Amino acid sequence: MKKNFLVIFGLVFLVSGLFMPAASYSAKTLKIGLVDTYTGPATAFTLDVLDGFKLVVDKLNAQGGVLGRKIIYETRDEKFKPDIGLAMAKELVLKENVDVLMGTINSATALAVSDFAKKEKVPFFVTFSKSEKIILEKGHRYVFMMNEHTQMAGRAAAVALAKKPYTKYWIAGDDYEYGHAIANGVWKHLQKLNPKVQLVNETWWKVGEADLTPYITQILAAKPDFAIVATGGSGMVNFQKAAKATGFNQKVPFYQHTAIELSTLAPQKKNAPEGVFGTANYLFYYPNSPENQAFVAEFQKVYNRYPKVGALYGYLTAKFIVEGFKKAGSVDKEKFINALEGMALDSPVGKLAIRACDHQLELPMYFGVTTTDPKYDFLVAKDIQVIPASQYMPSCEEVKSLRK
Amino acid sequence: MDTGALLFQKILSQIFVGLSRTTILFIVSSGMSLILGVLRIPNIAHGSLYMIGAFMAFSVSNFFGGGSQGFWMALLLAPIGVAILSLITERGIFQFLYKREHLMLLLLTFALSLIFGDLVKLVWGAEYKSVPVPQVFHGHLTLVAGIPIPLYNLFLLLVGPVVAILLWLFVNKTKMGKISRAAAVDRDMVGAVGINVSRVFAAVFVVGCLLAGLGGVLVAPTVNVTLGMDHTLIMEAFLIVIMGGLGNIWGALIGALIFGLAQSLGILIWPQFGIIFPYAAVVIVLMIKPTGLLKSTW
Repeated sequence: MKKNFLVIFGLVFLVSGLFMPAASYSAKTLKIGLVDTYTGPATAFTLDVLDGFKLVVDKLNAQGGVLGRKIIYETRDEKFKPDIGLAMAKELVLKENVDVLMGTINSATALAVSDFAKKEKVPFFVTFSKSEKIILEKGHRYVFMMNEHTQMAGRAAAVALAKKPYTKYWIAGDDYEYGHAIANGVWKHLQKLNPKVQLVNETWWKVGEADLTPYITQILAAKPDFAIVATGGSGMVNFQKAAKATGFNQKVPFYQHTAIELSTLAPQKKNAPEGVFGTANYLFYYPNSPENQAFVAEFQKVYNRYPKVGALYGYLTAKFIVEGFKKAGSVDKEKFINALEGMALDSPVGKLAIRACDHQLELPMYFGVTTTDPKYDFLVAKDIQVIPASQYMPSCEEVKSLRK
Repeated sequence: MDTGALLFQKILSQIFVGLSRTTILFIVSSGMSLILGVLRIPNIAHGSLYMIGAFMAFSVSNFFGGGSQGFWMALLLAPIGVAILSLITERGIFQFLYKREHLMLLLLTFALSLIFGDLVKLVWGAEYKSVPVPQVFHGHLTLVAGIPIPLYNLFLLLVGPVVAILLWLFVNKTKMGKISRAAAVDRDMVGAVGINVSRVFAAVFVVGCLLAGLGGVLVAPTVNVTLGMDHTLIMEAFLIVIMGGLGNIWGALIGALIFGLAQSLGILIWPQFGIIFPYAAVVIVLMIKPTGLLKSTW
């Protein structure tokens, strides 16, 4: 008897589950599907994207939503696996009927989802993947890039480094696509901007390598003028720690993309090496504008921490989605895309536009060098140089020829 | 081209830095080998315990103000914390499964590694953590050719032999060690003479995991403490254990030496592809001696 009851209860539970999504369609909503890595080391970045996104959406829903619709969002954990990510994007579009897709930090997933979004004609906003292929070779009408890609990071660094007197360079980094792409990006454009530079040698270590000291001693022995260190994620801190322990930063100046970013410097507190050159799309203390201060204050109030670069990506993606639908005046996806092309919005880092020709968000890049500041218990960037998007984005013609 | 003397100095400095890496690899893989030899568990969750050791080091070090004192307390307390966690796991799960086949144990430890990974995220969050190098070991010594050797790496060079000696004493001079060696050879016979094998197994498991935790604490000041740091290590530890001979802790020592030195010297020979040398060393060793360098207990 008891068993029967349990079976019936179970069935009722299952059936009611099946009808749940149907119930949510009946109310007027705007649905956004987020596919991203929510387990494992990448969460150090992805949770900020989600929190920045929620900041806009929750506030907007409290004010009544957009076009009279409440925004609802579904998150899916792709576990840093492209096959899972693609399956989840399909589920979100085909079963949950999301109007817009966004994510992910995994470039392979982003490429797979982007391809699917193109077939299904669903707008897809990339929020942390760094592969340039997403928006260059494989770019299309339905994909939007809300962060810089490896080629942009490389070009931005080259613009700043070309003005420095160094000529003998060493390249080192994490041996995976991101590492090589960043290094190539810097080197290719640095050679163009300063033909005098020469490459002494290269060193590559496996991703996650725990002790980088033997690699550093080898670079020191070769005495280059400057080192381009193409590390990503956890490798950023691993290299900085080894650089500090060996005094490498005092002997050979070096550059890492995101070296000045909060995610790299905050965990090391005051023990991070000084004098490291880096680039970042966002610094919570720069520019010291009312817009940035307001964003930081709002983020801090809700989450009780400083926003990192991901928070800006998530925040801006939500803003553009909302304003895009407002301007389109309907939830029609094609009208929405037309509305977004060339749209410019005020942001914590100044007025930003989505370039019409390739759907790349025109973010400024900050180039600076690490230093201590009595105001914070971690290192920050000084001598900050703003590199506007126009100086480091591939031109529309370049994008056009690559997309052929 | 380098002159002979300069090249010699470079090699010497690479050996020094390579040896300090060896220390961590040895400590972690000897624990793994001990468990593999005596309990016959290919423990994939060993890497997770190493990661938990590092995270616990962060918490303990922070609790004691984050300075030098914090590090020493972490060195003492974090491995104990890992040992307690492993005792719970052994008494709660493993002790019921020793009779099962290896594949099942392998799957179980894999499941545990995933669970531990998520637990770490729940307890410590996703943010990167960092344990500062204690004040005494700030800076570096310049031994040869102007090439610096961090003081902390020199400290690791001292810790390695100390752990090796303690482990030797445990295995060879204590009753527990002797029983565990006997159990490694013939588990049923040890039980037949009236020894409580279950308790011995628990003790060996805890010692093995304590070593994983110790490795985690020792590596913490040199790296970014983060989720996923277990994956990179577990692979290397398995290779070292296989290279040295399954279940032989001295094999783990030799394996770690070969792996660490092949890496640091490989960088000197061919910097672009230094990454392949330790793995090439594993291949060569296994081609010459497929059962591992020392006698396997399997």
